[in-house]
Amino acid sequence: MSSTSQKHKDFVAEPMGEKKVTALAGIGDALGKRLEDKGFDKAYVVLGQFLVLKKDEELFRDWLKDTCSANSKQQGDCYGCLREWCDSFL
Amino acid sequence: MATAQLTDEELSSELKRLGFSPGPVTESTRPVYLKKLKKLRDEQQHRGSRPGKTRNSGAINNNSSGGGGNTAVAAAGSGAARPANNDVTYLSNTRGASGGRPVLNDKRVASGGGGAGGKFVLGFSSDESDAETPQRRRGGPGHGSGRDRGSSGYSQQLAPNRPTGTPATAQKNHGGVAHSNNSSPGVDGRRRTGSVGWGDRAIPGRSWVSQRTETGGRGYEEPGEEDDIEGEEGNDSRSLNGSRTSYLNTSKLAGDYSDSDEEDDEGLSALDRQRDRRLASRRSHPKAASPPHTNARGSESLQEKTRGAIRANEKPGASSLDMLGYRGEGGDEDGKPRGPGESALTGGLLNRSFPRRSIYVSLAGDQAGAPTKDGSPSTYSSKNYEDGNSSPGGGSRFSIGLRPRFSNYSTLSRTYRPVNSNHTLHGYGQDPNKHKHSVPEDELLQQFKRDGVSSSGGFSAHYLSMFLLTAACLFFLLLGFMYLRMRGAGATDADVVSKYNGQNQDFKDHIYTSLKWILSAGDDVGIRLLGEDPEEPVTEVGQVLRLESTHPKMSFLCRFRRAFFTVINRVLLIIAVIALVLGLIYYMKYRWRREEDQSRQMYDMVARIIDVLQSHNEACQDNKDLQPYLPIPHVRDSLVQPPDREKMKKVWDRAVKFLKANESRIREEPQLINGANFTVWRWLQPALGCDRLSQIPSKVWQGKAFPLDRRNSPPNSLTPCLKIRSMFDPVMEVGENWHLAIHEAILEKCNDNDGIVHIAVDKNSREGCVYVKCLSAEHSGKAFKALHGSWFDGKLVTVKYLRLDRYHQRFPQAEGCLVPLRPSGGPGSRCDTPHVLPSLLPIKAAEV
Repeated sequence: MSSTSQKHKDFVAEPMGEKKVTALAGIGDALGKRLEDKGFDKAYVVLGQFLVLKKDEELFRDWLKDTCSANSKQQGDCYGCLREWCDSFL
Repeated sequence: MATAQLTDEELSSELKRLGFSPGPVTESTRPVYLKKLKKLRDEQQHRGSRPGKTRNSGAINNNSSGGGGNTAVAAAGSGAARPANNDVTYLSNTRGASGGRPVLNDKRVASGGGGAGGKFVLGFSSDESDAETPQRRRGGPGHGSGRDRGSSGYSQQLAPNRPTGTPATAQKNHGGVAHSNNSSPGVDGRRRTGSVGWGDRAIPGRSWVSQRTETGGRGYEEPGEEDDIEGEEGNDSRSLNGSRTSYLNTSKLAGDYSDSDEEDDEGLSALDRQRDRRLASRRSHPKAASPPHTNARGSESLQEKTRGAIRANEKPGASSLDMLGYRGEGGDEDGKPRGPGESALTGGLLNRSFPRRSIYVSLAGDQAGAPTKDGSPSTYSSKNYEDGNSSPGGGSRFSIGLRPRFSNYSTLSRTYRPVNSNHTLHGYGQDPNKHKHSVPEDELLQQFKRDGVSSSGGFSAHYLSMFLLTAACLFFLLLGFMYLRMRGAGATDADVVSKYNGQNQDFKDHIYTSLKWILSAGDDVGIRLLGEDPEEPVTEVGQVLRLESTHPKMSFLCRFRRAFFTVINRVLLIIAVIALVLGLIYYMKYRWRREEDQSRQMYDMVARIIDVLQSHNEACQDNKDLQPYLPIPHVRDSLVQPPDREKMKKVWDRAVKFLKANESRIREEPQLINGANFTVWRWLQPALGCDRLSQIPSKVWQGKAFPLDRRNSPPNSLTPCLKIRSMFDPVMEVGENWHLAIHEAILEKCNDNDGIVHIAVDKNSREGCVYVKCLSAEHSGKAFKALHGSWFDGKLVTVKYLRLDRYHQRFPQAEGCLVPLRPSGGPGSRCDTPHVLPSLLPIKAAEV
């Protein structure tokens, strides 16, 4: 597994609570803004989407791509971050 | 693949059939699942030729943990929900099988078994080179002799087919032509039975929906339809493209039905053939393709079919007739068949599919934009696209002639109907032919009537004409009066009274009496009495020396001239007075408006300043490095563009003053920044959580609610004018120029479309209507696709087409608009975010 960033570690370390969507690994300002515009203004909303897609990597990646034009790395980061979070807390 | 008209459940079961277990299909996951579906289908199709493809299964494997055996899957047969596990294994197994595709096809067929099994297979029918007969043909009747086509029943077919028909299935994948090749011998018989068997098949509308989704120019063929057709037409179909073949087969099939009931088999079958062709082409080809197809073939085929259909219609009773009747409905262009066909069909299940189909046909055939569909479309009261959608289904229906199918379709149509309220076509066409044309006309009229067009324009025009009439009457009256008046005040020769006296001695007394009377009568009797001195008034009869007529005999020209000038002078006077008054009024209005403008701008500026300060404050909360105040000039320079600074100076000053006096949350204070003294604004209000909520983007496009497919949009754009609903709420809007924000939003959303020439926001409409005119129907179609079904400002936007003449009636200024509008995209272009000033916010380290 590729090394994880600090953001990833921070996110996975604790329950996400009301963290903003930009707290997700791979989601920065631009992507975060796009997600917020679409209505995904909190990290848990994106988590919701991730769960609705049954934690399927491909689907989630596609969805991310469609929703905020994330590139492959960003998709992967976000997916990994959420998956790990789910493993720990769900 | 155009995943048209897939409801969520359908999509979900499709995915399940393909061996993938999807989560809930909601508006946010739908596009993803559609893509997945497409991918899976592609995978399956290519699986035969590329056994090594593992991507899909890899993905699927993620979901599935184990796998039932291939047999298990195969045995599962008709589209029972296949657990992902099984599917995965199945897929992998199929790969091992000869031409994994056949197995897949089987699977598909099986999955379609629940409904139209051959959905996926249909897509392959266009592959003419494939010599194998697609077994998919809905596992139904058309199975080749070699295949285990269960002619007994669709469901049965699926089950037995699958395990045994593996090799055959592979063939099914390919185009109908192949079908015909193999199946010709046994097909006929099968087909017949198959057709009957189709009746047993309860093919959910989905089946042909999914068929439709498999496009790529494949000859989509109705399951079973194609099989039959292929079998019969074997060679013929081969010569045609896949779609054609299927049509042929379908028509043949139809012909079969009709044969039994109709005398004119030939014509009917030919018609049916063409119709099927048309249907198939419609179905298989994407929207764009279908019109050309229909145009190319449809017109004459439609007509033919129509005729055949009419004939069919005339013979009541047989279901096949009904089917044919449906087909005949396709002949909208003729405008004839519909009436009888529809009435015939009313009773039947086919009604639904038929009208839909005909609508689609008419739409496809009639590119003029004004759908000729008459009553039949109305049944569905759905948009044209519905027809498009239904027509494939309808086509399949026709060929299959299965009652259950129709009921399914009816349900489908029912579901479709509510979807499109915009393009509601009323008046299901039970009417005879001649009403057909009027019905769509009426429907359109009703649609447009609701727009409330021409209310104000007509009003003013009426009054204008009345006014003109009155003015003309007054003018002539005035002229007459002037003429009368002219007859006086002229100096002419006065007759001498003595002359009268002298003329007739007898009447001297009378003359005296009359003179006396004239004197006593103060009125102007037309005679003026003159004494010695013409200027002096006469009091005594004896003084009268001369008589003079008060109506001088002037030449006509002179009189006319005098009258003319007088009238002109008077009229000019009146006009001058009126002009003066009007000028005064306009001036007052202008000044008043200017004032309004100024204050509005000022308030706008104030609001923006507050926004800026607030956001800056929030940014300061997050980032402790920033100063919690902003210099006033800096704020001004970032809010007002350099070219506008001169103009906005007054506004800015007023805004500053207003803030100082009225805004309690902002404080002015002097600060030292980088050595320079600035008067800064400091935001005083502690950050409230709820404040953020108010920042919910308004006037922002928020994504699409549903993908636009044939189900919820017309297959072709009809007119260059659009009416967009639910863009705003007039009650909630504040300010003067919010409609400009709407303009901007629309232009931004359609910024790839250079054809928008006029936008009008109806500020008073409850529904939040915006009217848009484009350069051409094609542009409006693009705009339609971009706008319809999107979320804007928390509301779901719907679009419908308007008639061009009505639009011009309502907005005459739009007639001359030819220049495409461009979004101005000022600071904080509204579409994306409200009032964001990136320059004032700290740039966070971007992770992207």
